[in-house]
Amino acid sequence: MARVTRRSFVTTVGAATVVPAAALLSATAQAVAATAKSPLTTEPDRITYLFFNAEQAFFIEAACERLIPADESGPGALGAGVPNYIDKQLGGAWGAGERLHRSGPWQAGTPTQGYQLPFTPAELFHASLRAINRDLAAHGTPFHDMVGEAQDAYLKSLESGAHDLDGVPSAIFFDVLLKMTVEGFFSDPVYGGNRNMVAWRMIGFPGAYADYFEAVDKHGVKFEREPMSLAEDAHGHIHVRRDIPANL
Amino acid sequence: MNAAWRTRAGFLVACALHAAVCVAFAASTPAPPAPKSSSSKTAAPATVSDEAAFAPCVACHGAQGEGLAAAHVPRLAGQAAEYLQKQLHNYADGTRDSPIMTNFAKALSETQRAKFAARYASMSAPFLAEAAPVNAVMLARGHQLAYQGDETKRVQACVGCHGPDGIGVPHAAPYLAGQSAEYLAGALKAFQQGTRKNDAGQLMRSVAQRLDDADIAAVTGYFAGLSSSTHQSATPW
Amino acid sequence: MKQRLKEVDVVVIGVGMVGSIIAKELAAAGYKVVGLERGQTRFTVPEFQSPAIHDELRFDVRKALMQDNTREPVSFRNQASQVALPVRRWESFLPGTGLGGSMVHWNGQTYRFQANDFQLASRTRERYGANFLDPELTVQDWGVTYDDLEPHYDRFEYLLGTSGKAGNIKGKIQPGGDPHESPRSREYPTPPQKELFQGALFRKAASGLGYHPFPQPSSNLSQPYTNPEGLRLNACVFCGFCERHACEHFAKSVPQTVILPVLLANSNFELRTGCQVQRINLDSTKKHATGVTYIDAVGREFEQPASLVITSAFALNNIRMLLLSGIGAPYDPATGQGVVGRNYAYQTVSTVASFFDDDIIINPFMASGASGTVINDLAGDNFDHSGLGFIGGGYIGAVNSNGRPIQYHPTPPGTPTWGKGWKQAVLKHYNHSVMFTLHGSSVAQKQNFCDLDPTYRDAWGQPLLRITFDFPQNDIKMAAHATAKAVEIGKAMGAKQVVGNPRKGPYTVTQYQSTHNTGGTVMGDNPKTSVVNRYLQSWDVPNVFVIGASNYPQNASWNPTGTLGALTYWVIDALKEKYLKNPGRLVSA
Repeated sequence: MARVTRRSFVTTVGAATVVPAAALLSATAQAVAATAKSPLTTEPDRITYLFFNAEQAFFIEAACERLIPADESGPGALGAGVPNYIDKQLGGAWGAGERLHRSGPWQAGTPTQGYQLPFTPAELFHASLRAINRDLAAHGTPFHDMVGEAQDAYLKSLESGAHDLDGVPSAIFFDVLLKMTVEGFFSDPVYGGNRNMVAWRMIGFPGAYADYFEAVDKHGVKFEREPMSLAEDAHGHIHVRRDIPANL
Repeated sequence: MNAAWRTRAGFLVACALHAAVCVAFAASTPAPPAPKSSSSKTAAPATVSDEAAFAPCVACHGAQGEGLAAAHVPRLAGQAAEYLQKQLHNYADGTRDSPIMTNFAKALSETQRAKFAARYASMSAPFLAEAAPVNAVMLARGHQLAYQGDETKRVQACVGCHGPDGIGVPHAAPYLAGQSAEYLAGALKAFQQGTRKNDAGQLMRSVAQRLDDADIAAVTGYFAGLSSSTHQSATPW
Repeated sequence: MKQRLKEVDVVVIGVGMVGSIIAKELAAAGYKVVGLERGQTRFTVPEFQSPAIHDELRFDVRKALMQDNTREPVSFRNQASQVALPVRRWESFLPGTGLGGSMVHWNGQTYRFQANDFQLASRTRERYGANFLDPELTVQDWGVTYDDLEPHYDRFEYLLGTSGKAGNIKGKIQPGGDPHESPRSREYPTPPQKELFQGALFRKAASGLGYHPFPQPSSNLSQPYTNPEGLRLNACVFCGFCERHACEHFAKSVPQTVILPVLLANSNFELRTGCQVQRINLDSTKKHATGVTYIDAVGREFEQPASLVITSAFALNNIRMLLLSGIGAPYDPATGQGVVGRNYAYQTVSTVASFFDDDIIINPFMASGASGTVINDLAGDNFDHSGLGFIGGGYIGAVNSNGRPIQYHPTPPGTPTWGKGWKQAVLKHYNHSVMFTLHGSSVAQKQNFCDLDPTYRDAWGQPLLRITFDFPQNDIKMAAHATAKAVEIGKAMGAKQVVGNPRKGPYTVTQYQSTHNTGGTVMGDNPKTSVVNRYLQSWDVPNVFVIGASNYPQNASWNPTGTLGALTYWVIDALKEKYLKNPGRLVSA
């Protein structure tokens, strides 16, 4: 039934840019979200997708949540908004190849020479997701409808490099997906992941405001402070007051 | 009573009250040496109950920790407990100089310092009247120092340590937003002159020494003007 | 098309640490100096703002302060038999760009090399015999001695205000310092930074094993300091956003805080940013430089004539500048002939991870870039290498500089790389782990070198620098030996699990190791094996001086910046006292 609902949604909205993440929370994650104590609870937001189409978003949301699942310690990648982070990164400069040297000729290299594909991250995701969804459609079960163990097995098959994803070795796609998932989990919430700084709370990282002169020599004493984000500003914005001229 | 304190008359009343309390306190309590050990049981001046010892705090800082801006008495409500406790230590050990606070602080036991600090930290007082409006140039300069700093003077932005809009960062720096401009200016002067030397890594002394009187007036006026709305709208992460 | 500008006395290529110091001295001495910087102008205020500068994604992961590799990467291969390919993303090393150079994003670890390092070849033969060195290695003496450089080390440390504890003042061993260090003339300008918990644990364990721990010398200062240029720095607050980031507190010694304000106030100096130098121009004899050609930020080409050209770019860019300009014979590994690009070396960094029980709380995010406790007992030639089959070593220390979680979330071996098991391990170990570094030396060998890439070009159409490098067996052996010792220290600290990761080959550009790229324009006393003489003057074109870690014939056990600062002041003295009074060769070839 769930599949029908999603299909209906896709049919209705087509490649529109909005997919409700809430509908995609796994039963486990929902249970955890319901029982976990504040402030580690995050209500799944509707993510306004700018890059992924609905089909891609279904995969990304489900895959991220397997890479970093919700558990008794707190939300996973989905609750932390990681798919939103990945979407915004791929839709922006990073996706277009920011800080990636993109001049040919393109040649396969040794592993020690690093990434040598001509794909930008955006192209890499489009190619890979197209191939993955086509592959799974042919076998009958979309990724997001698989049970967790089957999802893990499929991710492992990607990780081991068994698939050619329209020119992208699946191990490379998996590596980029995992890296971006970890980035979205632990980066500052201004980038759209790590919602409510859940990941920082789980490990005890205090965030962007950082002055430990007094604390650093209190050896072995746990530092307890609410984490603080770059975006944390009593006025809700950074360093700009429209009522005050920028220059004297 | 709070309203009355905002008036000139109220200020005088408060000062008189303060003086009376000081005298009474001094008469009833021969100030013992500050306990060196952190164990309060052995070194505490047991003669004064917590409430009696807290009374002089209230006399100036107010029952709700609202302070007495015009008299340079800081607002303490909601200030981080460990910061307040440290100040009491430092008044007692002389790294922060104050003719009034030194005696009070010395008289308090370790436990009382911690208790009173926690008490003020938990308070939520209304803000007193907004600081006197400053002119546009001062406002812009205050904003610049608060948020950006000044390269030519090699002064960094206040908010980097004192938190977004100066709302304070626990374990690092006290809040400045809504604090008495007169108090803040006095504190900067004390850092500048070295009568206050309890700053982490001498950072505030370095900063204060590079600010002139106009800078101090501008930046303290700026933070004083960021008051209740600032604290209340701070995102409760 | 090319616009010819008015001639100046000196043109400096790259306004980082070396360029700023040298330009300041020469401008103060009355010379007209132009500084050409390819990157942008930037200062503590308003560019290095907190909290925006505390952004791990932007600065660490995306490397916002680094050389623009979309326009100007390097190419790389392990062996000359392979095809070099562009390093499409920076990972292994991170050259900076912009005013202040790579130093803006450094950690502030401010070491000296030891007397032995400057005479490595001769002293190794002396101590271990003529046949001890692997014949594949091209280890050689520097042409200067520690005693030559000591006053300049001192001057540089006092410019920076370095916080540390001397271990040897004029031959007298000082308690609490490094007893292995070569004699220094006086104490550090400021006392050591506060010791981290990791450092305290390390110190206790290392002392117990008979080693000699000392506080790592740090140019993130322990207290306010006014340097001889009259510039005041603040104390570091241990924010944990140091390396790859810039400092908002005027507390990290970088050109912006220690020298640039003085330089920029001198009207003899002109800074031009956004200027990409294409080459140093030579006259028809190819023995004299006439100036440089550069392209500005809007694409206009200029010729800047100058009597003296100083290239003070990052090590890799110094090498490339000479190759692009045709100064000095390029090295050919097949014949062993040529010098430019020869003796490219690196840093052999190994790590040890110690995992503790929950009751040991580390708070890894509290750190300065250089707060740490280290030992030099296994560095350089501070231990007997007889029978070990390698030279060199490394300092070992608890020197972790941050707990920024995208990149710092240690897990023990056997942990899954994702899923619930991974997440639980990250949560369990984040606050209860200590990382050591073994900061190992790097010897030069015949097959490691740099030249111009035959295929790949930069955005201006010029060939990329091509690096051919793999770890010499010498260094692999060294890493294995010293890492094993470091593991013993971790165990003595009481860690539940200690995991040594000795550096192994092949070298890969996919993992950050160190930005200590050295060699390629090495100094020496023989023009057949060096590019510049002991005063860093080109053997071939005497009005070109090359200053950078590219001068190091091989790399030592320590971070290279302190030695580079010392060399900079050494050259300044040579320029002011000798060359500028009577331009010409300072050493006859």
